[in-house]
Amino acid sequence: MTSKLQPATRRRWRGSAPRLTPYLFLLPVLVLFAGFKVYPYLYAAWLSLTKIIKGQTTFVGLGNYGRLAADPIFYKALTNTLIILVTQVPLMLGLALLLAVAFNSALLKFRAFWRTAYFVPIVMGLVAYGILFSTLLNSHHGLVNFLLESVGLPRVPWLADPVWAKVSIIIALTWHYTGNSAVIYLAQLQSIPGELYEAAEIDGATAWQRFWHITLPGLRPAITLTVVLSTIGTLQLFDEPYVLTNGGPNNATLTIGMYLYQNGFKYFDFGYASAIGYVLTGIIGVIALIQFRFLREKQA
Amino acid sequence: MRTERRGIGPRNPEEEKLDNTVRRLFAATGRLTRLALATTALATLATGALAEELSGTITVWSWTAPADGLEAAVAGFNKLHPGVTVKVEDVGNPAIWDKITAGMAAGGAGLADVLNIGIDYIGNYIETFPTGLVNLSEVGANDLAAQFPSGMWASGSSADGAVYGIPYEVNTSGFFYRKDLFDQAGVDINSIATWDDLLEAGKKIKEATGAPLISMDKAATVADSAGLWQLLTNLQGSFYFNAAGEITMNGPAGLRSLEWIKKANDAGVVADIPGGWDNFMLQIKGQTNVAVIPAASWAAGVFENEAPDMAGKWGLRLPPSVEPGGLTAAISGGTYLSVAGTSPNKQAAWEFVKYAMGTLEGQQATYEGGGMFPGFKPMLESDGFVKKSAYFDAEVNKFFIDELGQNTPTVNYTTDYARALKAYTDAQTQVLLSGADPKTVLDEAAALVAGQTGRAIAN
Repeated sequence: MTSKLQPATRRRWRGSAPRLTPYLFLLPVLVLFAGFKVYPYLYAAWLSLTKIIKGQTTFVGLGNYGRLAADPIFYKALTNTLIILVTQVPLMLGLALLLAVAFNSALLKFRAFWRTAYFVPIVMGLVAYGILFSTLLNSHHGLVNFLLESVGLPRVPWLADPVWAKVSIIIALTWHYTGNSAVIYLAQLQSIPGELYEAAEIDGATAWQRFWHITLPGLRPAITLTVVLSTIGTLQLFDEPYVLTNGGPNNATLTIGMYLYQNGFKYFDFGYASAIGYVLTGIIGVIALIQFRFLREKQA
Repeated sequence: MRTERRGIGPRNPEEEKLDNTVRRLFAATGRLTRLALATTALATLATGALAEELSGTITVWSWTAPADGLEAAVAGFNKLHPGVTVKVEDVGNPAIWDKITAGMAAGGAGLADVLNIGIDYIGNYIETFPTGLVNLSEVGANDLAAQFPSGMWASGSSADGAVYGIPYEVNTSGFFYRKDLFDQAGVDINSIATWDDLLEAGKKIKEATGAPLISMDKAATVADSAGLWQLLTNLQGSFYFNAAGEITMNGPAGLRSLEWIKKANDAGVVADIPGGWDNFMLQIKGQTNVAVIPAASWAAGVFENEAPDMAGKWGLRLPPSVEPGGLTAAISGGTYLSVAGTSPNKQAAWEFVKYAMGTLEGQQATYEGGGMFPGFKPMLESDGFVKKSAYFDAEVNKFFIDELGQNTPTVNYTTDYARALKAYTDAQTQVLLSGADPKTVLDEAAALVAGQTGRAIAN
């Protein structure tokens, strides 16, 4: 008797509710996404076409974008951001790769300790991180210059010289994010079958050959992911120059993110700041597309 | 303070004009005090009548010492308005600017009822967010105008004279110098009339004591580092913009200021010390020696509180002039109290501002609690406001009152002060770090600001 009822019940459920249920479960996320992502995106798009003139939000078409195209400070910020991108991302990912291989090695003692130690910086708060580095790199009484002097090297104006300030930002970024990439690589390393290494060893492959022909190809999905994520993160760079150099000296560490912030929150020019945001989004989109295409072709 | 008094008599039309300049007001101290007291009494009566109607909670946003000052005024305010709860929040500086800006941009959402706003921000808030702050002229703020320095009052009003902020702190330039270092080098501070004299003295002090004359944040990576240039330029009656809003930062006065800074830097008497509070403390405590610190009037109290061991070593005087016989006074910033346009309790908020800023009782409580230098004239003229400080061996407040009495020009911050400040700071960094030519970098900075803002560069 029950067996007769069951199909009917099942059919009724299948008929109406099941179509709605998944969406009800998704609703909170969709509402949050619409409220905190879609709405700001659309509002910023509208803002980027306006300018506040005598207290009135006025439609100026592509005026802000035209101004941006002729703004020397924007180009300076763009150049700084790209310089940091092409030096810091390869440096960090290279280091992360080496660390991941080391963490995975059976020869390493206290593996859990080392893994944690390198991962901890990522959870450090921005303010603590800023204070830590500005104290370490202080040119008068910082620990780094003290150590340099104690081995007979000259003091370095870490945060006060246009070139060294960029170097400081790169060092801070690398310290903060390397562990994160290393953990992603480490996870991917677990998916590379051990037999491949055994077979290679039997065939007489050297350690370098095993790394080059087995480890690297095995890590390719993780490398693609970290390259794209790190590139996006660096293009949006804001925290480090904000806490360490305030974008200075003389705009040497001004990034696009910093310039956007200055225009919005220092100069109250929200239209212009939104235009910068959209141009940055465009740049990120193009670069990410190129990276995906490039890395995919290599994979094939 | 001058104590000149005139006989009692009816007010004549000429007297009515007294409101206009601080200098004239000081010449009529006695009469004005009476007038002010009468106004204060009236205001107190008026607020007293309203007392029963007002209730609810108002929030005040300020930071550290100014917040302490406002907190100290709450008790007296509550005697008049027992139904109103005042919550003073120390939201930190510079965080307060981002908080207010974000709130304004969001149509006033989440703002406190009373906002403590810097002179460098208020003009931009008034123009960019026309409904962000309450037009206090509509609730009678203009009655207070005569009791504040006119230039400071004007900067808290819109171009058409509507009042958006009541002056809280009115800072003039304090010129602090190390008596012990000057003595060691055998330089008589009284022989220094101009900044060129000071530079020569600085070289002697450096030679005799090894101490630099002055410090600057040359890379300007911590703070804006434009204070010295602004002071020198103000002393010549100029600023980033003129009264018409045209760019004057690369004019003769601005150029002369940056040239002085370059001369001092090339002479090796400028120490490179990053900005920020901690480094300021090192200097006033004498842990890092500098011979002079030009800081605003609020700093006087800080010296006494933070560096008690240095009593007798620091002296205070008016800043030297740039031109022989020129101004020895400059308005170096200040703050206002404003009421947020979205405040649900505007009347109570305004009554609090009026009590704390516009009555002698409120001013005294605020001054005792926070020590911010006030602009309220009855307060400046009140008994005991000028007293001798054992620390500086001088009547500290007398210097600042004297400066308010000098004919300093109204400083026009405009809506683009932040951009001009940034452009100047970058120009100065190039001069100090790479020896760039002051004229070239100032012209470039002016052109940049002109491009960003559409403002003309004055001839």
